[in-house]
Amino acid sequence: MGGFASSQLRNKRGIRFAVVACTLLVSFSAQAQKFIGTRLEYLPEAYNLDLLEVEVVAESEDWVSFEQLVPNLGMGEGVEWMRLTLDPMTENGKLIEIQNAGIDDLTCFMVCDGKIIASYPGGIMNKGAEGHQFGTYPSFPVPLVECNKLHALFRMQSNKPMIVPLRITGPRRVLEDAHERDVLFALYAGVMVVMLLYNLFLFLSIGDRSYLEYVLFIFAVGGAQLALNGYGFVLGTDHWPWLNLRLTHFFGVFSGLTTILFVQNFLRLSRYVPWLHKLLNGYFLLYLVALVLALLGRLEWSYQLINFCAAAIFFCIPGAIITIRKGYEPAKYFLLAFTVFIFAVFVFVLKDSGVIPYNAWTFYALPLGSAIEVVVLSLALASRINQLKRESVHAREEQLRVSQLNEQMVREQNSVLEERVAKRTAALESANSNIQNTLDELQSAQQQLVQSEKLASIGQLTAGIAHELNNPINFVASSAQSLRRDFEDLSKVIDKLKAMDPLSPNLNQEMGQLKEMFGALDIEFTQREIEELLNGIEDGTKRTSEIVKGLRIFSRMDGDNFTMAQINELIESTLIVLRSNLKDNAVVESDMGVDLPLVSCQPGRLNQVFMNIITNAAQSMDESDLAVEERKVQIKSRKVDSIGQSWIEVRVKDRGAGMSESVKAQIFDPFFTTKAVGEGTGLGLSIVMGILSDHNAEVEVETEEGVGTEFIIRFPL
Amino acid sequence: MINVLYLDDELHNLTAFRAAFRRDFHVHVTTEPTEAVRILREQPIEVIISDQKMPTLSGVEFFELIMPDFPGPIRMLLTGHADIDAVIDAINKGQIYKYIAKPWNESELRAMVNEASMLFHERKAVSDQGEVLLHRMQEARAMALRIERATSQASSLDASQVAEINKQAVEINRLLAD
Repeated sequence: MGGFASSQLRNKRGIRFAVVACTLLVSFSAQAQKFIGTRLEYLPEAYNLDLLEVEVVAESEDWVSFEQLVPNLGMGEGVEWMRLTLDPMTENGKLIEIQNAGIDDLTCFMVCDGKIIASYPGGIMNKGAEGHQFGTYPSFPVPLVECNKLHALFRMQSNKPMIVPLRITGPRRVLEDAHERDVLFALYAGVMVVMLLYNLFLFLSIGDRSYLEYVLFIFAVGGAQLALNGYGFVLGTDHWPWLNLRLTHFFGVFSGLTTILFVQNFLRLSRYVPWLHKLLNGYFLLYLVALVLALLGRLEWSYQLINFCAAAIFFCIPGAIITIRKGYEPAKYFLLAFTVFIFAVFVFVLKDSGVIPYNAWTFYALPLGSAIEVVVLSLALASRINQLKRESVHAREEQLRVSQLNEQMVREQNSVLEERVAKRTAALESANSNIQNTLDELQSAQQQLVQSEKLASIGQLTAGIAHELNNPINFVASSAQSLRRDFEDLSKVIDKLKAMDPLSPNLNQEMGQLKEMFGALDIEFTQREIEELLNGIEDGTKRTSEIVKGLRIFSRMDGDNFTMAQINELIESTLIVLRSNLKDNAVVESDMGVDLPLVSCQPGRLNQVFMNIITNAAQSMDESDLAVEERKVQIKSRKVDSIGQSWIEVRVKDRGAGMSESVKAQIFDPFFTTKAVGEGTGLGLSIVMGILSDHNAEVEVETEEGVGTEFIIRFPL
Repeated sequence: MINVLYLDDELHNLTAFRAAFRRDFHVHVTTEPTEAVRILREQPIEVIISDQKMPTLSGVEFFELIMPDFPGPIRMLLTGHADIDAVIDAINKGQIYKYIAKPWNESELRAMVNEASMLFHERKAVSDQGEVLLHRMQEARAMALRIERATSQASSLDASQVAEINKQAVEINRLLAD
């Protein structure tokens, strides 16, 4: 903010500075210049003379006088000759001055009565030679000789218009004027340098691109004015004649390019006046062509093209007006600056064409105009920055307002939302506690179900085992009683035998009685029977102890601990327990692998798994048309090796109804059952799955409807 | 001696049964249902005892099977603990007289067989009497037929013939009173 205030202050100072400069200019150049173009003569036909001929030509009758006070000899490759007849009496010791620093090559020959007595080189090609002893304009001393006829012959060649504002005056006056000009151009240069540095500083501190373009623009415009007026030496180009010759062109191109860039950016032409933006792009290209021509040495064409392109500046006036109409304030300053400059250009051109007099005002119109332009443009830039600032402040205020509005709305919304959230939270909390209750109920129900499933299986088991035990107990007990009776029969015989006396005379009779007794008691049959009964008892006790052993293995319900166990043993104990249940509806064919390694497992829980799967397999054939002998449950255990892993694989296969894909997909889901209501909890296989996943076992089910189902369980080793 | 047939797939049970009851009953045992049917056909079996749980068919099924051909013998079912439902069903349908739980109590079983035998004979007696009655009724019907025929001829009869008929009627009445 402070920066802007001080920059505006600087601009005001700039204006004051310009006003002082103008005052000086007016006071210095109050006196009108006295050019003597009408005393100059030219040759209507082109001559290319050598020096000997010069002396001849000097006296020629072909010379024709100019009509203008400031003649214009045009430009190009051709050499032009010009003659000035001097009055040796009054004008010797004075200086002939041509106030044009832009002539490339200029030589002045002093011819006294047909003899060349002196020649002075001048113009851009001959900087620093005798023709430049008094300032930036070529000037030549009139020699102090006594002649009847004294002529000054000028040989000139230039790629820029050779305008010849020529005067004869005393050296003091020339020096004074040169000094005055130097001061003025120094002033001008000072203004330009100050503006340049000032805007460079602004560019560096603000970083706005238009300041950089403006700096380049100032440099180009200022440089062009200096070069045009023979002050190119301040840029240090005097030692490079090649560059010196093209300095005007380069600066012309450079100022054109920078002007276009500056105008385009400053007036925001791409936004406000797109057609002008494109047009200026075209001019930009033409300037580049002019630059190339200058580089190639086509200086005359280049100069013409640059002049043509200068017309582009006129388009800036309508451009600025359109932009102002679209509400872009800074364009007003811009319009003012360019109007001033164009006015100055008009004055300059009209002066050259002799429409308006050649005086200090018109002479300095261009530098003055450009200085004013630069200063006003600086104001325009400041205004532009202010405009941008205003826009950004406005935008920020708008943003602030909108954000405050938003904040207000958000606050209101927030309170509404908070209320809603509170309500919702309360609702959710109550729902949550409901859900928690339901969940608790479900969990306890599930636990009860799991428990009842367990109890059901235990009940099933108990019934099975009771039946299995009943048979042997039945015949063992019964056989024991029968044995006692048989023994009583045998005892009778033995008692009879004991009572018999071998020495008794009645022995034969007693033997007969004994035989009778043998027959009556059917002792032979009794003997056979005793043997059978004993076999039965043996078999019964063996079976009973087997069952008990199986039961012990099966009922390792402590077996929630992992221990190493033989899978085959578990399956066999399960089969013993299930034998009676299976007997009337299926035949079990087991094919157990030999020498299987032990598996780390929970034996009690695995028994539950096998019991469930084998019972399912048997029950799957309940509705089957197969004869009981064909209702096979095939159980197979093997050790299998796959890549880097060994498994114990247990397969349980039935010939039941099989399952559809949809049933198969659900069999491990809790409460899923295909049995009638009340016959199964639907938890069996889901419990199986839980147990097997605790064992990291894989379960695979292969099933085909009408063919059967095979459960494949793999326990990792 | 009472003829008893015992069917069980458990050979040791058969042995034990025969050893226990051979002194009291005429015991026939077999493990095969087809053999049991053969025995039924050849022997005057009064009581059939069958195990319920057998591999090819259950005891109840066996009884259902033989009922049409051999309705007479009293049927008793020998069961383990698990088959109570089947037994209840069987009793309600009147297929069996008693069920015996394993392990059996010898004296109880003996008493049951004796009771069953008595029942068999009572039923047999009743059905025999029924047959006699049936026979007599048939005779009576034949007689009534004769009387009717005689009555139709009676219109053309004289006194001596009437007296003869009366005598026959008295005879018939006497017979019917028996």
